[in-house]
Amino acid sequence: MMWSEKYRPKNLLDMVGNEEVRESFVDWLGKWIKGSKPILLVGPPGIGKTTLATLCARQFGYDLIGLNASDVRSKQRIQDVLGPVLGNASVLGKAMIFVDEVDGIHGRSDYGGVETLVDILKEPTVPIVLAANSDRTDKMKSIKKATKTIQLRPIPPRLLRLYLETILKKEGASLGIGTILKLVIQSRGDIRSMLNSAQALVTGFEPQTEKSFVTMDVEESVNAFFKAKSVDEARAILYSLRIDPREKIDAFYSSVITSELAKEDLQKMLEVISEADMIYGKIIRNQEWRLLRYLDSILLGLYKEGTAARYSQFNLSWPLLNRLRWDGKAIRGLALSLAKKMHVSRSDFATYYFPFLLFCTKNKSLDLGLDESYNEILQKEMALLK
Amino acid sequence: MQMKFPGTCIVCKKKIEVNEIGLWAKGIGVKHQACAEVLELRCLVCGGSAGCPQCEFRADCDLTKVSQLCICKKCNDTNDAFMSYQKALTKKFPILNLKTMD
Repeated sequence: MMWSEKYRPKNLLDMVGNEEVRESFVDWLGKWIKGSKPILLVGPPGIGKTTLATLCARQFGYDLIGLNASDVRSKQRIQDVLGPVLGNASVLGKAMIFVDEVDGIHGRSDYGGVETLVDILKEPTVPIVLAANSDRTDKMKSIKKATKTIQLRPIPPRLLRLYLETILKKEGASLGIGTILKLVIQSRGDIRSMLNSAQALVTGFEPQTEKSFVTMDVEESVNAFFKAKSVDEARAILYSLRIDPREKIDAFYSSVITSELAKEDLQKMLEVISEADMIYGKIIRNQEWRLLRYLDSILLGLYKEGTAARYSQFNLSWPLLNRLRWDGKAIRGLALSLAKKMHVSRSDFATYYFPFLLFCTKNKSLDLGLDESYNEILQKEMALLK
Repeated sequence: MQMKFPGTCIVCKKKIEVNEIGLWAKGIGVKHQACAEVLELRCLVCGGSAGCPQCEFRADCDLTKVSQLCICKKCNDTNDAFMSYQKALTKKFPILNLKTMD
């Protein structure tokens, strides 16, 4: 299990840093009444915005209803998810709304999202918490006006070191002082990334420190992922596969599409890959690279214990690839010689003439007088005719 | 010194008006009295200064940007420093010691 999950704070006292912020957040939620201004938590990734909202909701007995960055947050989607909560607050119990990465709402897929959200923020019937990495963009202006902003700051490195050493002690692991300092400095106040890197070092998965990030190649990693005995193992393998996200999605796509899987499994896996592909598209279009951290958790949906999926570099099956390579060569030769006879291009011949010629040859109504070396390919192609 | 001319603080980049107190050095510039004070984080456990000038992370810790409560070397070197941190947190921020309602 990932340490960042295993040691996710169970209560507000387990967190480190931003003590005054935590106090003011608890104070806000404790005194919340209908109509109170929603809260906007602003701060760099990995310092506990989501954890703070989740813990407070649990400790005050709220049911947290969230929209995270991997969801489409269009006008319609926001109304569908949040509408019932706002309209029937008392019927649905104590609900609290949490919208993560609110500064990432824009673009075609999230069309109208911000405006809808701002309308909701103006008349809150339940506590609403928004989280953003930055509040300096233009699109955040309208959201900021309707909310009370709480700024979370990066955690001082020495506190991070204390936290990391506590976790290492609990895990019975140790790292050299130089490595600890390096991990703390490189994390830049991001607890999650610090813990992930420390775990990578301790458990043997590749380290963030020196040269390379990859311990296994793509083939080994994808096969190990599908053969993993638990979700946690699959997650760890996925995390250690540090290659270009596009290559990662492609590697899983080609593996899934060429493996012999049950129709339902294939459908489910293709849906997961499609979701991963969409979020990657969103990242590239809007250059929202911070969304990249959601990619692995989406791809984790491909894991199913005992699945027959295995790595394949190409997105076509081997028999088909072989046919393309070897039969394709023979067909090109055949098409070239016959195209000359018929005064058309090779491409035209192969596309329009060849299927009819095959029918004529099969029905023995035409003898092309071809070289014997083409017999084999002609027989193969005729066998494929329906 | 009392400012004879207006200037811009080299730390906070805000204006320093005439007659305000500022610290000026030839070739360097001027700064507010408050901006000239050495910024240091506080230790949450003992309440004293966190000892930032001697901290192993002084080169990598932006004191103006990080969360303002830290832990000093003395408190950090105790046997169970994290427990002390949590105890101090409970004492100074009692509101955070909530009971889970599930």
